[in-house]
This record gives sequence, structure tokens and C-alpha cells, in this order.
Amino acid sequence: MSKSPQSKHRARKRQRGHYLLRLFMAGNGPNSKQALANLRSLCQEHLNGRCTIETVDVVKDFQAAVRDNILVTPALILVAPLPRVMILGNLSDFPKVLAALRLSGSES
Amino acid sequence: MHVKRRAIPKVPTQIAGLDQILEGGFPRGRTTLVCGGPGSGKTVLGLEFLCRGAMKGEPGVFVTFEERTEAIRMNARSMGWNLAALEKAGKIAIIEARMPGEEVRSGDFDIQGMLAIVGGHAKRIGAKRIVMDALDVLLRIYDDLKRERNELFRLHDWLTDRGLTSVLSVKTHRDDDHVSQYEFLDFMADCVIRLDHRVVGQVATRRLRVIKYRGSGFGTNEYPYVFGERGIVLFPLTTAELTHQPLGSKVSTGLKGLDLMLDGGFRRASCILISGNSGAGKTTLVSTFAQAACRRGERVLSLNFEESKEALISGMLSPGIDLRPSIRAGKLLVQTAMPESIGSDGHLGRTIQALDSFKPDHLILDAISACLRMGSEQAAFDFMMRLISVVKERGITSILTNQVNSEKGGDEELSGIGFSSVVDAVVQLRFIETDQEVNRQIFIVKSRGSAHSNRRQSYIITDRGIEFPDKPQPPPVRAKKAGRKDGRK
Repeated sequence: MSKSPQSKHRARKRQRGHYLLRLFMAGNGPNSKQALANLRSLCQEHLNGRCTIETVDVVKDFQAAVRDNILVTPALILVAPLPRVMILGNLSDFPKVLAALRLSGSES
Repeated sequence: MHVKRRAIPKVPTQIAGLDQILEGGFPRGRTTLVCGGPGSGKTVLGLEFLCRGAMKGEPGVFVTFEERTEAIRMNARSMGWNLAALEKAGKIAIIEARMPGEEVRSGDFDIQGMLAIVGGHAKRIGAKRIVMDALDVLLRIYDDLKRERNELFRLHDWLTDRGLTSVLSVKTHRDDDHVSQYEFLDFMADCVIRLDHRVVGQVATRRLRVIKYRGSGFGTNEYPYVFGERGIVLFPLTTAELTHQPLGSKVSTGLKGLDLMLDGGFRRASCILISGNSGAGKTTLVSTFAQAACRRGERVLSLNFEESKEALISGMLSPGIDLRPSIRAGKLLVQTAMPESIGSDGHLGRTIQALDSFKPDHLILDAISACLRMGSEQAAFDFMMRLISVVKERGITSILTNQVNSEKGGDEELSGIGFSSVVDAVVQLRFIETDQEVNRQIFIVKSRGSAHSNRRQSYIITDRGIEFPDKPQPPPVRAKKAGRKDGRK
């Protein structure tokens, strides 16, 4: 996965329209795998790579789940730009995800 | 066909009375479901199970889906458990699992996140027990019954894989539709307990019932319970009859004359009823007994439902009985209460706590007729039956007074409360007022496992207590051997 997404993100901080997305997964569960695949293709199609995907495996790092109060997985948090948004599920409903990420209609 | 049951391993809950009902405790490494309406005490039961385990060296995790951590800590504090200290010592972990509310949902998800958090904490403290409080809130994240069921089975497997002794609580509502929604929960769990909170005769009563217990026997009745000062107190009754202590040796009544009539006195661990009309001297008689017992160094718990402690003490000074030295010496504990104040379960809880802490040799209850004011005849009966049962189990002598209205006295009015089967001895006092004089008579109606006088004996109450002008007569014929073996007449 992406190395040190925080610092990479910091470097691009001033870059307008850059997205930091944190995906909470549980091991290699089918829902988690599907969510990651869905998120990658969504980034490619709708953000032209203007995004950083940070993945957290709650099975390996439960403290991270505690910090963000992640009780169900997969769960996606839009960390930046603000306001923060949380989307639950394997992200299979693209129009719904795009709307939640405030991407529907504008970008292509 | 008779198949011998192999005992399954159990974890004692140490909740007063519950282990007796569950024949040992919750199933070890398995799931127990506790369901009940709001205010029935599901959270307290779970907390008590964890706290008692933690104090005994079995750490536990408490997952709350509804209440805030601070509310849980306060709840525990009101029962006298210091959760914060147990948390600090790594004996208990509280996880506040606030389920997502308005978040966007897209596609399928599961509760792996929560399991990771719970698993992480459980590993950290080496948990053996886990309580998930208000699991129904967790299930509400799915609008799909089938999905709920799958997640619950996943949770169940997860808990079982880790060998955790689990208590899951679920809120149920009165209407049956809602309950049947969680029917599969009953099926999944190895032990199912239902808590019921209802109001009868304006008095709140709580009842516990075990619905099922896979691989184990259990008490099948509805058991009343209260929230005591140190957690839940249950009152199992069914098996009590079998564990009663046999009637013990003789104990002096404090009156030589009455001892003579009773062939030496009352029997220890028996239940004695002193019945009589107003003014007959019932309280004087039991106070005489109390004073004599305390002077011998025995301990007496006196429950008074009719007058205050001060009124009792000053009232007894006129027949020359000073209870104050006994109280000061810590041998006599007088507990007074208005019968209508806290309901029969409340009274029972309070009395059992006094029995636990004071450990008396004898119990005096003045008067059972006032118990009717606890709400209903049924409430009074429950209170008396359970109390007598508890004291008999512990080998405590109980002396009850009963006020009857008829001049004749007697126990005919007792049938109203109807527990004569547990009463071992009945002493009748009569107070007859004529134009010329007052006349008092004492008569032993029955005395199980003991010979007794068959005469009505006159007595007077002077400033030196109860006195017999004529020398009382001993029993006519010596009994062969203290009654039949089972103590029944």
C-alpha cells in the first residue's frame, strides 16, 4: 500500500482538489478486497490519481479502529478535503459513493 | 430411557442466589443470553458478573452499545464496585461501541471492526469473560433480518473460538412480535435468562426466569430479585425445603416457666409463631427471649414493622426489660421499617443483607400481621415464605409474632397468610379483660419434635417481666424420642 501517506499528503497539501481517503479493512475478507478494488477504480476514473489511499487493517491495528471508532468494516473515511465523511460498505454503489464524496456531476 | 448427564463446566456468577438457580453458574466458554425490558437490570447483572470475576482474578471486557462509559462507571459505583480501579489494574476493559448512525452506506459490510477492537482489548487484559450490553442496538444497523442473523452467528462463533464466557443482553418489549424477531438468539445461546419488571399492587416487582440451559438442569420457577446494596439479590425457593437445617438443640425462652412447658425451651433453627390479641404481651415475650439470648452471648436480629427502635426500647422498660446493653454490646440489632415503604422484595433484600452482615443466631419478626401492608396478601406470603426459608437454611431460629383480633386468640387468622406448614411451634397468648380483672393465658398449640404442656397457663406482666403465679406444669408424658425424623407432626 502507499508508504507514509501522511507525508505525501502534506507535500501535496496546497494542491487543490487532492483527496486523502482512509479505508479500514478487516484482513483479506471479500468485502474488504472488493472495497479496495472499487476505491482504486473510482479514484482512477473520477479523480485522475488526485488522491491518496491509506489502508488500515483493523485486525492488525485495532488501536487505529479505536481512534476512528470503526465498528463495521469496510469503512471509508474522507479525511481531506473537509468536511469529513464516512461511508460504510464495499463501495459497490458508485453513484452513491461519488455523491457522498461530493464528486458527482462535477468531475469526470 | 435414562441417560446420565455429564456435568458441563460452569463459571460461578457469585450473584446472590443465581448460582443455585443455575446449578453452578453460567456455562464456561459459552454464551448466555439475558433479555428483558427497560429497567429490568440487564446491565447490572452483566456488570456484576464482570466485577465479581475481575475481583477473583478473571478479567473481563464490557462492550456497551447504548450507554456511555461514564454512565456504566456510575452505575457500577452505585453498587459499590470501583470500575475505574479495576480498569486501571487491567482487570476490566470497557468498550463504548457507538454504532454508526447517519453514515452513507454502499454495499455490504460486517462487524469485523468491532471484533478487532474487542479482540484487541480482550487480548491486552487476558479476558476470560465478556459482556455485550444491548446487543439489539448492534443488530439495528442492518435492516435485514437474515443479515442480522448471519452477523450474530459470526459473533457467536468468534466468542466461542476464543473460549470466552459470554453474556449478551438484549432489550425486549412487551409485544411478542418483537421478541420473536430474536428467536434465533434463544436458539443460538446455551443459556437463556429472562428478566421481568412489572408493577403489582403499586409495588414494583422483578422476576427472573431461566428459559433454557443446554446440558444442565436449572430451577424452573420465576424468582424474585432486588437490587441490593451490593448487586443483585435473588431468592431461590424451590430447593430450599431440601436444604433446611434439622431442628437443633433446645434454646431457653428466657422464662423458666415457659421452658418447663416446652420441655426445655424452643428448638434452635425452628420457626416459632407467637400469636395473640393486642395487649397480650407478644413483644414482651420475644424481648425477654432476645435479652436472655444476648446475655448468653448469642446474636439476635429484630425486625420491627410496628414501632420505632426508640418506642420498642422505652416500651420494654416498663416490664423491666432493658434492651440497651444488648444493643450496645452489638448482640442485638433492631431494624425497623414501614411495611409499605419498599415492597416485599425490598424488605427481603434488606433483611437478607442484615442476615449476611450481622450473622444472627436468632431472628425476631414483630409482627407478621403488619406484613400484609407490604402490598397484598400474596406479597406478604412471598416475603414470609422466602424469609423463613432463608433462615431455616442457615440454621437461624425465627420467632414471629402475629396479632389476631379475636379475644380467643388462636391461629385461625393465620390461614390468611397460609404458611403454617413451615411453622414448627405455635404459642398462643390470650388477653381477657373482664369487669373485675385482666387475665392472661399462655398455651402451646404445637411444638414439632418436642413434648409440650397441654395446659393453659395464667401469667401476669409485672415490672420484672412475665411471671407465672402458679408453677407451670411440665408436659404430661415424656415424648419417646424428639418427634419423628422428618420433624413433621
